Amino acid sequence: MSALVLLAVLLPGLFWNKDPETASALKQAGIERLYVPAEKAAAWRAAGFNAVALGAATLSGLEKVDAPRVEWKMDVASATRAPWIDANGWRFTRQPGRRWYEEPPNGAGALAAAEAFAYDADAILRIAPGDLPAFGRMLEFLKRADQAPMPALANIGLIDDGSDLVAEVMNLLARKNLLYRIVPAPEPSLDLNVRIGSREFPRQAAEDPGAFASLVRQRLTDDKRLLRIYGSDVVIGRLTGQGPRARLHLLNYAGREVQGLRVRLRGRYKGTLRAAGIERAALEDSLLTREATEFSIPAMMAYAIVDLEALP
Amino acid sequence: MRRRIFLQLPAVAPLLFGRDNSVPTYRVVSRYARAERPGMPGPHPGFVVSVRAGKSIESDSEKADAGVVREMIASGLRALTGESDARAAWSRFFSPSDVVGVKVNCSGAPNIMSTPEIVAEIVRNLLAVGVKASQIYIYERFLDQLQSVGYERHVPEGVRILAVETPRGSIRGYDPSTYVEVSLFGEEDTRSNLARPVAERFTKIINVPNMKDHGASGVTGCLKNIAYGNFSNVARSHNQEKTHTLTFIGTLAAVEPLRSRTVLQIMDGLKGVWHGGPFAPLKKFRFFPKQMMFGTDPVAIDRLLLDIIDNKRKAEGAISVWDRSPENVKPGPFYSENPNINRYFREPGHIEYAAGLGLGIYDLKKIRIKEIQL
Repeated sequence: MSALVLLAVLLPGLFWNKDPETASALKQAGIERLYVPAEKAAAWRAAGFNAVALGAATLSGLEKVDAPRVEWKMDVASATRAPWIDANGWRFTRQPGRRWYEEPPNGAGALAAAEAFAYDADAILRIAPGDLPAFGRMLEFLKRADQAPMPALANIGLIDDGSDLVAEVMNLLARKNLLYRIVPAPEPSLDLNVRIGSREFPRQAAEDPGAFASLVRQRLTDDKRLLRIYGSDVVIGRLTGQGPRARLHLLNYAGREVQGLRVRLRGRYKGTLRAAGIERAALEDSLLTREATEFSIPAMMAYAIVDLEALP
Repeated sequence: MRRRIFLQLPAVAPLLFGRDNSVPTYRVVSRYARAERPGMPGPHPGFVVSVRAGKSIESDSEKADAGVVREMIASGLRALTGESDARAAWSRFFSPSDVVGVKVNCSGAPNIMSTPEIVAEIVRNLLAVGVKASQIYIYERFLDQLQSVGYERHVPEGVRILAVETPRGSIRGYDPSTYVEVSLFGEEDTRSNLARPVAERFTKIINVPNMKDHGASGVTGCLKNIAYGNFSNVARSHNQEKTHTLTFIGTLAAVEPLRSRTVLQIMDGLKGVWHGGPFAPLKKFRFFPKQMMFGTDPVAIDRLLLDIIDNKRKAEGAISVWDRSPENVKPGPFYSENPNINRYFREPGHIEYAAGLGLGIYDLKKIRIKEIQL
């Protein structure tokens, strides 16, 4: 029973404000549990669904975030060729107790579900009708991949003063796969501690968050990074782990398949790949050195998981 | 084979380019050792055979004459090797067991590319020395560029036409264990990986570049075609008005096994581009040297190319490829239409830099040229 409850808590929920006449579409998508307006809850239950009533007040009290996506901004001059990514992971980890609400446009539902799952976020998603099949397939994938959450692995400590400035730094650190966790004070066990306003990381420098993230990267050095991703600038990773087990979550924000991703992890692991929407996915070209593990992901759609086991 | 990591520090850079302290730190990773005699500069360092033929291409129609091309290539190979027979000359480089990659240049296609008649003649000679059609690969990085040429119409069935990066942006066609790691502008992806067929399949490579001006590297010839044409993620070397082609081209070209396996340079100068390269959309910047150059030393050929392009530019009243005047550098589309505007501070010094890496001879006084006029 407790395992079932845990599963229900971790998987993103569907908010559906349509009448039970649309039940067949949900059934086809494999959806059995959903959030509905309070006045429709009874009808949905009568239709055989595990329907949770969501009152208007509760709904409006949820923290609304934009759907994840990539903006190419080809017409904007920039120091980098990398596209802009609207990602929510940093928000989810900054406020872990919150309940979130999203309205992803058609085509973005699967990624939104995967993003919430990857960051252990309690999220309710209003899915476009045309997106139900993809959302349903992603939920099925997430169910099979579900496990008890593990803490984030990071070697950068970031002191959060609650400011918008730190928020944007978090966004850019996550965007550049510089794995950090929020700490109340510098932790000597971490490779780098970042306190905006310190001599090493002046407040003025943080006013350009992209350059600031580059400064953090420079101070940490690439060799010490826990995660490197080569071959794509639209994939963001999250690494969690406990004891000998770890899990790498990879989120592809591009809205289309990415082929041939190369991953470098600091530490020695053996890994197993699961990629949503791709049959018989397997890691390729694995390489183990004294200090790092590398492998290639042949292809991934919105989401892939690499389950890792530490090697001596 | 044991994994080897070569830390190829830019040892020549401080000596040659001491005033420029922006030489990046390159880390070259390869599991391949250098051959006892690497293909570049090969058995003929500092030696270039230049063959000219007025009837090799018709300027108005831009149609090449396959018969003349055949004679140009035969003459060139004979002069390069000293053999009296073309087949014997080709046998100096290739044997039936070889798997040969023919590295064409299609970045300017369909306006300018490795001429199909030249590529077809190369293939014919490989077949003549016993290399099976299925062991010959005409290859380039991008499928759309290859398809726009249609080499398959010019070569026998069975010869393979291969695009490395399919689809564009995918790194599956590159060897994950052979790469140059460098941060040029603080980019996130710091690796450029070698084309997988070069690492895993080809035993020999023939490099078939064009004679072209290049907005970033000054000119693009043997070195640029073999370097940027065989590695992923190379466009990152230009940003704003700065380009790192000065050091990046030679560094890439020197990576094993590319350096050892590239055994023959055949520069296609039937047609050339004196401004607006490498893509060369405007016909007014194309010209017709009606010339081919043969050698094993890419630096020596490119050194001659520098003068060919720069002399043509001077004749047309354009600024030199060596011009570094800030007032002539303008970002945006102006470069492709105006030969007195630079898109970047050009780096024709990349050829001399490559010489410093041991890829060939740069000093004109030490380059021996055999001129043949058909």
